[in-house]
Amino acid sequence: MTNFTIAWLALPLFIGFVIYLVPKLDRFLALGITLLSAAYAVQVFLEDSPLKIQLLDSFGVNLAIDQLSGFFILTNALVTTAVILYCWQSGRTAFFYMQAIMLHGSVNATFICEDFISLYVALEVISVAAFLLITYPRTDRSIWVGLRYLFVSNTAMLFYLVGAILVYKAHHSFNFAGLRGSPPEAIALIFLGLLAKGGIFVSGLWLPLTHSESESPVSAMLSGVVVKAAVFPLVRCALMLEEIDPIVRFFGVSTALLGVGYAIFEKDTKRTLAFSTISQLGFVLAAPVVGGFYALTHGLVKSALFLISGILPSRDFEELRNLAIAKNIMVVLVVASLSISGFPLLSGFSSKVLTMKNLEPWQVIPINIAALGTVITFAKFIFLPHKKPLETSLDKNHKKISSGFWWAMTILLSGLILANAFYYEAYTYFNLIKPLATIAIGWLGYLLILKKLSITLPRKMETFDHLIGIMSLMLILVFWILQV
Amino acid sequence: MLEAFVFITIFSGFFGIIFKKNLVMKIISMDIMSTGVVAYYVLIASRDGLFTPIASSANDVVYSDPVPQAVILTAIVIGFSIQALMLVGVMKLAKDNPTLETSEIEKNNTP
Repeated sequence: MTNFTIAWLALPLFIGFVIYLVPKLDRFLALGITLLSAAYAVQVFLEDSPLKIQLLDSFGVNLAIDQLSGFFILTNALVTTAVILYCWQSGRTAFFYMQAIMLHGSVNATFICEDFISLYVALEVISVAAFLLITYPRTDRSIWVGLRYLFVSNTAMLFYLVGAILVYKAHHSFNFAGLRGSPPEAIALIFLGLLAKGGIFVSGLWLPLTHSESESPVSAMLSGVVVKAAVFPLVRCALMLEEIDPIVRFFGVSTALLGVGYAIFEKDTKRTLAFSTISQLGFVLAAPVVGGFYALTHGLVKSALFLISGILPSRDFEELRNLAIAKNIMVVLVVASLSISGFPLLSGFSSKVLTMKNLEPWQVIPINIAALGTVITFAKFIFLPHKKPLETSLDKNHKKISSGFWWAMTILLSGLILANAFYYEAYTYFNLIKPLATIAIGWLGYLLILKKLSITLPRKMETFDHLIGIMSLMLILVFWILQV
Repeated sequence: MLEAFVFITIFSGFFGIIFKKNLVMKIISMDIMSTGVVAYYVLIASRDGLFTPIASSANDVVYSDPVPQAVILTAIVIGFSIQALMLVGVMKLAKDNPTLETSEIEKNNTP
């Protein structure tokens, strides 16, 4: 298993370069790597005990693989497979597949590493690969969005590095366990880096613009897996050290509320999805014990939604209401939206039930409000008008949908249904009533009140200077929480 | 004392990123910030001693800690490559925005 792990870890980066040497095989090689990752994830689930690997020496690289990593790796494998299938006929160059597969590999690396420096390296490789994917169209706007992303993440990672050396100073080791007994500055700096990188709370406001302005397959990867690369270490630390746990839970709750508050009032499909990503990450952090399963569900559903939003004829909800969408697209859109709202028979339901079960008492009310907000947000998608596919042939707004799109949807949506099996105990009468009531209230609220409102929230907070400046405030906030 | 200087470097870089208007200046500020971080690693490494931990004839001297230095080498390489990447992006942007005023670029490229 150790050798298999190392081979699996190194292969995506190696194959990435091979793809560039043999451009003709690009899609096949990329697909092969993602299938290998999926096989590895299954292997991790079959293994009983967590696997710990120490490479080189006592100062070397620590790897830890357990079921939590298994969930994240599986998410990554399925989402990347879907994205590659989606792009299959789009005529993208080998460069795109090379970056996608490198991104896949480095995201996998974050899910198994257990020391701060391997994590740093993996996160920085992610920044570079994500930057190259965002700027793939080479337009001015995409370059600016990419630069902004790289700036924010690199500045955050510099703070993180200072935190990492403070941990080393206290313990002579970079291991995650060293957070216990480190000075509070160290924890505050490391948390700042991870929070900003993962798009959590106010320091995550770089995320909406970045995720909405990239192309649909790229946003699907970014929202589906890349943000989870920084969330995973937070979950891991919360599980390892109980004194970190309340802080992570606090940030989970506040992120869930913040994201959903923005998402309800958003008028643009992709921005709505991006804000909903922020809020869903909050759910993952709110109950770290079951965060893995929630992350799997969210990754599948969010990448499906982003891929669908690339097919929709417009990004503006006002326009979409007048255009009407083909019936077959509408079906997948409704299934995905129902899953994220927590409708039974889809795994969004069981993951929500599981999360609710593992909450602390003080978290219950805000998380339920956030769940209601999610339902209202996705009612915007569910209640769009639709029409028969035949009529659309006259409509020039409709692009032809490739079969790759349907393959991607098959993988992601069947994944959503199959994942139910993980927690089938959720299907009791009591558990069924609550989500259905939430959905009913949410839909009523949307149809009666919110549909008529037209409030636009200001975007002042998302300007570049504010994004950097807010980091210093976040640093003070985390430090203050640690002191209390 | 040295530690204070290192933190002054880090923070002057950080505030440079916020307050400088020109995009290239912002990138240089980020470089200054990362210089500060590198210096801090070197400072921590030299807590116990100043001698380089390389096999030599001198014995009974206090060696500095090699681990932070080895680690920061990776960070230097990564920081340098990210800056190169950013400068390439800025060169592309500079064709349409000769002044590279961040607020202007942001206004033109935000929907």
